[in-house]
Amino acid sequence: MSPGQASARPRTNRLAGLARRGGSFLLDWMVWGYVAYGVMYLLNHYWYTRLPEHWYDTLRLPSWGWPVVVLATLEMAVWTRSLGRSLGQRAVGVALGPAAGGRLGLGRRVLRGILWHVTLPLAPVWIAQGGEPYHDRLSGSGLRPVVPDPERPARRALLTQWGIVSVLLGLLTLWVGWLIVGINIQVLIRRAPQAGRIWRDMLRPDFRYFTAPDPVFELRALRYSILDLTVVTVFMALVATVLGAAVAFPLSFFGARNVMGFGPVGWVTYAVVRGFFNVFRSIETIIWASIFAIWVGYGTVLAGILALTVHTVAALGKLYSEQVEGVAPGPLEAVWAAGGSRVQVVRHAVIPQVLPSFWAFTLYRWDINVRMSTVIALVGGGGIGDMLFYYKNQGDWPKVGAVVMVIVAVVWAMDYLSGRLRERIA
Amino acid sequence: MANPYLVVDNLTKVYERGQVLALRDLSFSVAKGEFLVVIGLSGSGKSTLLRCINRLIEPTRGRIWLDGTDVTRLSPARMRRVRRKIGMIFQQFNLVDRSTAIGNVLTGRLGYLPGWRALLGWFPKADREKALANLERVGLRDKAYVRVDQLSGGQRQRVGIARALMQDPDLLLADEPVSALDPATSHSVMQYLEQMNRQDGVTVIASLHFLSLARRYGTRIIALKDGQLVFDGPPTAIDNAKFKEIYGEDAEEVEVR
Ligand SMILES: Nc1ncnc2c1ncn2[C@@H]1O[C@H](COP(=O)(O)OP(=O)(O)OP(=O)(O)O)[C@@H](O)[C@H]1O
Ligand SMILES: [Mg+2]
Repeated sequence: MSPGQASARPRTNRLAGLARRGGSFLLDWMVWGYVAYGVMYLLNHYWYTRLPEHWYDTLRLPSWGWPVVVLATLEMAVWTRSLGRSLGQRAVGVALGPAAGGRLGLGRRVLRGILWHVTLPLAPVWIAQGGEPYHDRLSGSGLRPVVPDPERPARRALLTQWGIVSVLLGLLTLWVGWLIVGINIQVLIRRAPQAGRIWRDMLRPDFRYFTAPDPVFELRALRYSILDLTVVTVFMALVATVLGAAVAFPLSFFGARNVMGFGPVGWVTYAVVRGFFNVFRSIETIIWASIFAIWVGYGTVLAGILALTVHTVAALGKLYSEQVEGVAPGPLEAVWAAGGSRVQVVRHAVIPQVLPSFWAFTLYRWDINVRMSTVIALVGGGGIGDMLFYYKNQGDWPKVGAVVMVIVAVVWAMDYLSGRLRERIA
Repeated sequence: MANPYLVVDNLTKVYERGQVLALRDLSFSVAKGEFLVVIGLSGSGKSTLLRCINRLIEPTRGRIWLDGTDVTRLSPARMRRVRRKIGMIFQQFNLVDRSTAIGNVLTGRLGYLPGWRALLGWFPKADREKALANLERVGLRDKAYVRVDQLSGGQRQRVGIARALMQDPDLLLADEPVSALDPATSHSVMQYLEQMNRQDGVTVIASLHFLSLARRYGTRIIALKDGQLVFDGPPTAIDNAKFKEIYGEDAEEVEVR
């Protein structure tokens, strides 16, 4: 939506198309690899553990076994992609259709599968040149975005190939998973008395150290009471939310397509910022905390704050960026037309539109950070969790009960507050 | 026309996506003070033409001379300086719904504001007074601090006009300014445009759907069909035959009173 931008569209489009095709193929391959693993596990289990004379043995693949598995899974991927609509194709929203029109019959689908093998050596040529791959061209088919036929009802998802495959995958996971884990439900009943004792202890909380510092519990020669550490916990969440939002706010505009425009520089900036958001967001706060605990000191509040902040920046940044991309383009156009600069467009056309949802997301994140900061001590992030896990390890359940009660009260109060505020904004 | 104010010279626009030829070798000129109305069927390229003039859309080929400068050659920074003298009014108003009327009107002033001031949203007192005066002019002084999403369509378009007035424009581009409005409101909005044209000497280029409105307000009409110029002349010169040529054989003229 920004005027005066040279377009680098076709090239990036082609690369994106290639990446989508490759990604969906990889997904299909992974699906069949997963199935192969599941089947081998089942074979192993039922053959060797059920037959008394073989109980000590396990299934071993011969040396040529692995190439066979790789080839077989590849074949399954190729054929499921040719004969119907595979899970990977579904994931990127494409389906195999005729190039010219009419219907793509079974004959041409089989032909495509065979041609895939024949034309495989030509793949580098196709990748270099662009256009449709040879097996598509020669069989008169192609991967097209799915356009629902408005005259005919869509088939029920569970009756399509990808629907059946995903249900089978789910069942396989349950079956194999159950065998691997061997969950023993009886313990839930058998050990109930022990748990009952803990519950009873926790429900008689020991608030001795609510305000007075606990002499046993020491960190860096400083002694803390429950209340001290509660404040520290809320403080951690507050600092992380404010800092995170402050960093994510300006960054999010660089991660929005409509603000950055379609020129090469804008595209690269967008890709870098979005990539940063996605990678840093997928590393959970707990993992960040264990990294920072090693970096700045185990059990320090700083480690917790840094971990929460980093994850907040990435998570909020992504949410913010998506909001920015969803704004109505009209007001942006109006500011451009009045001679506004890119910064002015953002300030006067984008920000007024996104500010309410930014607030809502930030408050929601505040919720998450409060809850997170109560357990982050588990990996050395500091806060009230330190006390919780210390008492737990001592088996001092009345004190654990007291800490848990305070945590529940704080989390509930913050939840309630942010919920009310969000209602106000909406 | 001794010294035309705006010259469009062999303007061509191809939309890469979809390979649409939206404008083909379009040439015409506009004198200062004219009220030029662009008519044509939906998809004939009216919006594209107007947006090429202030380069919200980048022309593919051809030149556009505005007051002696070739705007197609200007750098982005110089283009911004030119744009601030070109007001624009949109079919869908293009207002920030969550802002107040005066907030929207003030954005018309952004081209004149130094960067840091605009970033902080500090408009000089003179601008605020000017905004109130312009709202007064379009009869909306009492709605100045009302959020725009609480205004009617006609009132919103008048906010749009006040925003364009803030630019002290020499040229006003109006892209179907009344298509979203009922006939009576259409006339009141068009009269504001006419007033700007007559009193302030602003050159107006407006695209309109109804020929009756075009006849009533235009001093000159051009018609587009598939991106080509099929008519250029005074409103009175459009007779029934011309009308059928522009709008197709089956068209009937509809009156807007
Ligand atoms: N962003 C775009 N990408 C591709 N094609 C476009 C784009 N914008 C417009 N077009 C095409 O260019 C042609 C002219 O469009 P334009 O919007 O200028 O017509 P118009 O006369 O303003 O129509 P309307 O009266 O419906 O507003 C149309 O065929 C349209 O489909
Ligand atoms: Mg239009």
